[in-house]
Amino acid sequence: MVSPADRNGYDVGLHLLDRQVIGADDRLVGKVDDVELVDQDGALVPTALLVGLPALLPRFGRRVGGGLARAHRLIREAAADQELPLVADFDLIESVGSDVRLSQPAPGLLHRMAHERAADPQRCRVGPLLGMPVRCAELPRRSKLLDLRMVGWPGGPGEHRVTALLVGPGRPGALFGYDRSSEPGPAVVAAVVAWLHRHARVVDLGPGVELDRDAGEVRIGPEASLAPLRG
Amino acid sequence: MKRYFAVLLGILTAIGGFVDIGDLVTNAQVGARFGTSLVWVVLVGVVGICVFAEMSGRIAAVSHRATFDLVRERLGPRMGLLNLVGSMLVTLLTFIAEIGGVALALQLVGSVHHLLVVPFVAAAVWIVLWRAKFSAIENVLGLLGLALIAFAVALWQLGPDWGELAAGLSPAEKPAAEGWATYAFFAVALFGAAMTPYEVFFFSSGGVEERWTSKDIGVMRANVFIGFPLGGLLSVAIAACAATVFLPEGIAVETLGQVGLPVAVGLGKIGLAVVVLGFFAATFGAACETGLSTGYSLAQYFGFPWGKYVRPREAAGFHLILLIATVIAAGVLLTGVDPIMVTEVSVVFSAIALPLTYFPILVVANDPDYLGEHVNGPVANAIGVVYLVVITVAALAAIPLMVVTSMGQG
Repeated sequence: MVSPADRNGYDVGLHLLDRQVIGADDRLVGKVDDVELVDQDGALVPTALLVGLPALLPRFGRRVGGGLARAHRLIREAAADQELPLVADFDLIESVGSDVRLSQPAPGLLHRMAHERAADPQRCRVGPLLGMPVRCAELPRRSKLLDLRMVGWPGGPGEHRVTALLVGPGRPGALFGYDRSSEPGPAVVAAVVAWLHRHARVVDLGPGVELDRDAGEVRIGPEASLAPLRG
Repeated sequence: MKRYFAVLLGILTAIGGFVDIGDLVTNAQVGARFGTSLVWVVLVGVVGICVFAEMSGRIAAVSHRATFDLVRERLGPRMGLLNLVGSMLVTLLTFIAEIGGVALALQLVGSVHHLLVVPFVAAAVWIVLWRAKFSAIENVLGLLGLALIAFAVALWQLGPDWGELAAGLSPAEKPAAEGWATYAFFAVALFGAAMTPYEVFFFSSGGVEERWTSKDIGVMRANVFIGFPLGGLLSVAIAACAATVFLPEGIAVETLGQVGLPVAVGLGKIGLAVVVLGFFAATFGAACETGLSTGYSLAQYFGFPWGKYVRPREAAGFHLILLIATVIAAGVLLTGVDPIMVTEVSVVFSAIALPLTYFPILVVANDPDYLGEHVNGPVANAIGVVYLVVITVAALAAIPLMVVTSMGQG
């Protein structure tokens, strides 16, 4: 198996979101329902795995997710922390493969996110970013943010931040992993997915690329260079 | 020696475990109406389930991920949830049919109406799911299910005209009274019965529970490639028995008792007793597998602890789901709905739900991130893509055929 550590980079939606989280005692902790990012001097740095329905439900989209989150709040009305997910900080991550292994046993591992942390404007989550509309003259109008490409790996030394965006028509996850440089089969399925996503591009974060969380959109100017997904 | 015994045990339980209420009822109905002209569908279905189970077994052995882990990882939470709901409904429907099947098998023995037996069967299934060891459920019921070999022995004793049976294998030999739409509907139903999705959920989750590693791939393949085709042969024997006894008389199969009748004709009371034991073991085993599959699917989607190897206290959510599923199944059956009708519906909806889980498994079986050097080779991919097409066509055709033929009535 190839882990993000082997390739010193990964796509957060494809390689980290929705993976099983397992404690050091082999107990199942939950899923990576979302990933928290912190804006550090303009760089988006992942800081924690978020676990639980308050992290998962908003990912179902504005309408469905909003409805489900409201229903969840009603069920847990008495709990003051009903909207706050559980947090596992990135420094607890031991390895990431087909699952995310943590360095501590499962009981007591997760802690509820503090209200101040949830309200911190410097912090955001990957889930709501994915699917954001993308404004770019060179891309079809219905393009969206499909995934975030990272350098580094969770729990590893050195730099670990978002370096590029995968953008294009369709919805996040619909590439089924057929967006990497390797050539996974079956060839027919890969060809169909590649054709369906022929307009999808990778764009490095830098001049001309603005991820505007307040406006809820990504703007890509003419000075940004768009590269094909595979190549 | 121990290893060979493990392989043999695995194969034997795979044979016994392959046949469930869907296979019993559908094969007997098809045999009685179409003779052996639909046997080719069983063959297509058996190869399909081998391809599907081998891929998911390999993924379970190498990456320790079961079906619904992969569904959510590859399709995302939204599509994954739609997939989960669809597959869970079909598995629950099959669970209801299996519990009904156990009750019908007991009705054959005790002549007590199956509705009176249903609550006790449901309670027994739940106690087994809660208390019994995983290996005990799989091995005891799988081995007892081998009693269904009585169908093959009965066929031999019935002494059919083998040449005529063999000549009837061609689709062109379809009885003239039956229309092609009905023929196609039963082809889809038979395909759904052979490729029921829960078999794969159970197989891959069991592999994760038993902590398979890449060293176990050989044993897993032996179970799949020998056990399932031999189970398929049992299905064919059921159809051939029905074709020999019922087709010439123009009798339709509508009860579980009729499914076993050819064995009584061929082998007498002892044969009937053996085959009823086989009915009980096959349906009870499948009830446990489908029940567990509902728990596996939900727990794997949400990531909470699951499985028979975890103490019930630590996997409380998983065991709660099993309890709720059992109560729902008993409740539905107690409305008086005919378990045979539920079975007929469940096999068709199995065919409809198949692409939901087959596609993500095919994609992940090609992903070196999960499987490293054990990714699909060119042959596995060629067959995998052919089956993707077959499964999609069957799923798309199922509902129109169901409507046009009024569930195969005419």
